[in-house]
Amino acid sequence: MKEKLKTFIFSELIYHEDPASFGDDADLLEAGLDSLGIMRLIMFAEKEFGVTLPDTEIEPDNVNSLNALEKWIKQAGAGQ
Amino acid sequence: MLLKPFLHQCRQQPEAVALVESDRYLSYGDLLARAQSVAAGLQALGVQPGQPVAVHLDRGIDVVIAIFGALLAGACYVPLDLKNPKPRLAFIVRDAKVHAVLGLGDAPAGLDASLWLDINACSEATPKPVELPADSMAAILYTSGSTGQPRGVALSHGAVASFALWAADLVALQDNDRIASSTPFFFDLSTFDLYAVLGRGASLYFVPSALILSPSRLSAWLKEQAISGWYTVPSLLAFLAYKGNLAQTPLESLRFLLFAGEVFPTPALIDLAAKLPRTALYNFFGPTETNVCCYWPVERERLVADENIPIGLPAVGCEFHIDAVTGELWVRGSSLASGYWNQGRLLPFLNEEGWYPTGDRVSLVDGECRFHGRLGRMLKCSGYRVEPAEIEAAVNAMAGVRDCAVVGIDDPAAGQRPALALVLESPATPAEIRTALFRQLPSYMQPSRCVALEELPRLPNGKLDYNQVRTLLEAQQ
Repeated sequence: MKEKLKTFIFSELIYHEDPASFGDDADLLEAGLDSLGIMRLIMFAEKEFGVTLPDTEIEPDNVNSLNALEKWIKQAGAGQ
Repeated sequence: MLLKPFLHQCRQQPEAVALVESDRYLSYGDLLARAQSVAAGLQALGVQPGQPVAVHLDRGIDVVIAIFGALLAGACYVPLDLKNPKPRLAFIVRDAKVHAVLGLGDAPAGLDASLWLDINACSEATPKPVELPADSMAAILYTSGSTGQPRGVALSHGAVASFALWAADLVALQDNDRIASSTPFFFDLSTFDLYAVLGRGASLYFVPSALILSPSRLSAWLKEQAISGWYTVPSLLAFLAYKGNLAQTPLESLRFLLFAGEVFPTPALIDLAAKLPRTALYNFFGPTETNVCCYWPVERERLVADENIPIGLPAVGCEFHIDAVTGELWVRGSSLASGYWNQGRLLPFLNEEGWYPTGDRVSLVDGECRFHGRLGRMLKCSGYRVEPAEIEAAVNAMAGVRDCAVVGIDDPAAGQRPALALVLESPATPAEIRTALFRQLPSYMQPSRCVALEELPRLPNGKLDYNQVRTLLEAQQ
């Protein structure tokens, strides 16, 4: 899941000179992920992983690193 | 002068709240007093009416103090996008030939400290009154330029004032309105917040920036603050409709939403219209050169998912002419900018009869305009205007680049994204070029795709074959 998210983020949403070196806990918001990027990321994740991410959980804390994203998406899908 | 309606409000209701930024607020009277101090500070620096003054501040109350201060001194403000890489900012400050830079604290490195004025260091003072003709410049807004460099669009007091008056009347702004503000002041959308809202005695509430990333908290904030109107970009409203928890957060106070800057995808607009059944929606349209020249009050029953909405009717009393051959929209009217600002001089762009060719391809169907794309190469990326020529000029100036071409690739969310085809001399690599570009241009101008070629494809007549370049880049994914 993390690899799919990472590929999508760095090919579609933000430019980074060396995505391979971008750590799983590194700050995506600081790297340039903005509101439009978050919306596209959520659309991608809901479709790709078959989950519904609740409106009230869209918070900077849940999207600011690859690890946070993975944890959040897995939790959202856990009850299905 | 553009601030006349605001000054009238200051006399009528000095105690009323003008600006709210989290727990900080400023009344009309206090805003005027602060702006007057800045104006007097600028006059003490020797700034004369008509001269440009840069505003080196991000967003919120302090920017309004600085902008109104500049205007009260008779100066013309140049709002800077502080997210721009330093070389681009430095170019804009040089090109505008500013006579002062307004900011907070000490002058940042790389800026001429003798031009710097800290707005908090301006002591209370009344500026000398200035008389300005309606055609004096009020603002210079820099956008991406087809000439290969950022280009300033110079707006007169008269042009901005006529837009503000028209927009305030359209949505019947009143002094009890609470209007949300999220647009940076270097975008022409901000002229509504500054001059329509504050000209009618309403209150401007700055949207806390963290909320932009959390649509359900944004809707909760809109509800708590009893916001009655907002002029913003479609992508934020689409996010609000998609994940804003609007079913649980009815926005009963929200009378109207205005949007502009990019095409609102119709399915997202249908979603928004359904979730805000009592809010009036208006689409505004026009390049920065016209501010707004066209508008469409959204008729909900006419929205069809696979059809773009019309751009609609002439706004601000503009006259339209559509070229019979090219379909290009020509506009004439009182809200048009005066020209481009180039090295401290105004280059008028209207023809002798006052018409401006917008570069937009349109058609007229049952009295309404429909938009069919751009005639030139300009792109719209996340609401920002991007001229491929500006990216090409930056790339061509780099060592190891023999040739390059930038085209737009359609993107479902961002509208368009720039994409770059390169012809390199060894040992330069595309990754090096992209890294160097990242330091020179803002993020919305960064190519989303890049391909290195032996030669750029050309048409039989020798011209660059942009369609072929686009096909090659689209195949990159």
